[in-house]
Amino acid sequence: MTIENIAVGYDGSPDAAIAVRWALGAAGETGATVTIVHATGLLEHLHERFTPDRLPPALLALTEECQFNPSRIRWLVDNGDPCSVLLRMGSPPINADVLVVGSRGQGKRAGLLLGSTSLEVVEHATMPVVVVPSSYVKQ
Amino acid sequence: MVLVINGPYSDSGHEEPGHPERPERLIAAMAAVEDLHLGSDLVVAPSYAASRAELVRVHNGNYLDELGAFCYSGGGDIDQDTYATMDSWAIAKLAAGAGLKVIEELQRRNDGVGFVAARPPGHHALADRAMGFCLLNNVAVASAALLSQGERVLIIDWDVHHGNGTQQIFWDEPNVLYVSTHQWPLFPGSGSASEVGGRHATDRTVNIPLPPGATGDVVRRAIDTIAGPVVDSFDPTWVLVSAGFDAHRDDPMADLRLTSGDFALMARTVTDYAPRPGRVVMFLEGGYNLGALRSSIHATLSAALGQPGETEAPSNGGPGTEHVARLHQARRSAIEMLHASDEAEST
Repeated sequence: MTIENIAVGYDGSPDAAIAVRWALGAAGETGATVTIVHATGLLEHLHERFTPDRLPPALLALTEECQFNPSRIRWLVDNGDPCSVLLRMGSPPINADVLVVGSRGQGKRAGLLLGSTSLEVVEHATMPVVVVPSSYVKQ
Repeated sequence: MVLVINGPYSDSGHEEPGHPERPERLIAAMAAVEDLHLGSDLVVAPSYAASRAELVRVHNGNYLDELGAFCYSGGGDIDQDTYATMDSWAIAKLAAGAGLKVIEELQRRNDGVGFVAARPPGHHALADRAMGFCLLNNVAVASAALLSQGERVLIIDWDVHHGNGTQQIFWDEPNVLYVSTHQWPLFPGSGSASEVGGRHATDRTVNIPLPPGATGDVVRRAIDTIAGPVVDSFDPTWVLVSAGFDAHRDDPMADLRLTSGDFALMARTVTDYAPRPGRVVMFLEGGYNLGALRSSIHATLSAALGQPGETEAPSNGGPGTEHVARLHQARRSAIEMLHASDEAEST
């Protein structure tokens, strides 16, 4: 199996940053490009968090830390709930080979299916999904 | 003509500090009803919590179990937009049951217009997932009840956001016609004109995505030219309206430029789609500027009841006129592709 495009969800949480770090590491080893996607919810119309034309500073710092070539990163801000947006990554125009998510996003409660984006994505995805645990540290 | 509204229930347990989907919305809605001064022409249906049997017509049983358990365990944030509290399960069932009793009352009278002022709203709720402030899909629960009685249901969704949950639930149902006008791009990201329904219900989904800044004249033209012929052909026996008022120009959640006068004109149009009186029910969805919500509901209900009412002037001059013509073509192409795909498979 060739992995050319890795999609990873990002909501600004520490767990999402860990997932992005894993995705950048995997892309470094496989030569894949990385699509970092943020789901813009209803409330973000009131309080914009991320703009589509600029990689957030935290991600920029992460890219530098991982020594990853920024030209192989696509930053995507898409309308929808996190689960729906992440599931779209397997379809055109992104066509991700692998989807990467953190184990818990912002404000989620552990151990419950409801409210767990990672579990819902795993349940509905048609592409391989990597759930990066919050305890992950690259060896 | 009478206005049938749902019975009152306490929704104060479903709230989160600072969240725009808040109990004050229902207070504004009921103030709009009071502004009509209907006297004995205002009929209040009994409060009713939808049963599990009524909910599983549209929702996955496991999802209902999870939602109930989540609430009983104290609730919390379901996603970045959607919350539930310990009381939300009971309140959501009352919101989902409200339409059922309003419909029963309209059936008994064979007259009137229904208005379901309930929250949380419903049109984003999927069969197996809460999202976009919505826990249970109120209009879908009511539609499914009518379907079980052999009715043909037109759902008009003029909330500024696409009703992805309602569309998903009835995607392949030939006896439901779902028509949505909404801003695009915007949450939830679905609702393109090329989404026209499933294999058994091709042409039963009509999406009219509109650019930011679009005004009422564009919306009305789109409804008349794109949805109107499909509605005529469908010949509904009931008309349910997902009546969100966040397309109002003062609403903070989106960028359409409608006025209360536009909602009044749309209410007249959709009321005319019904085969006879007593077959139209408006369900409150979004609308987060309380003043705009009150005036828009008042204008909508006045128009649906055939009463004069004070409204803002209808809006016009916004972008989107050329866009509407392109939507028509995109929709036709999608339907032709589906038919061609069916023919190829059958040969």
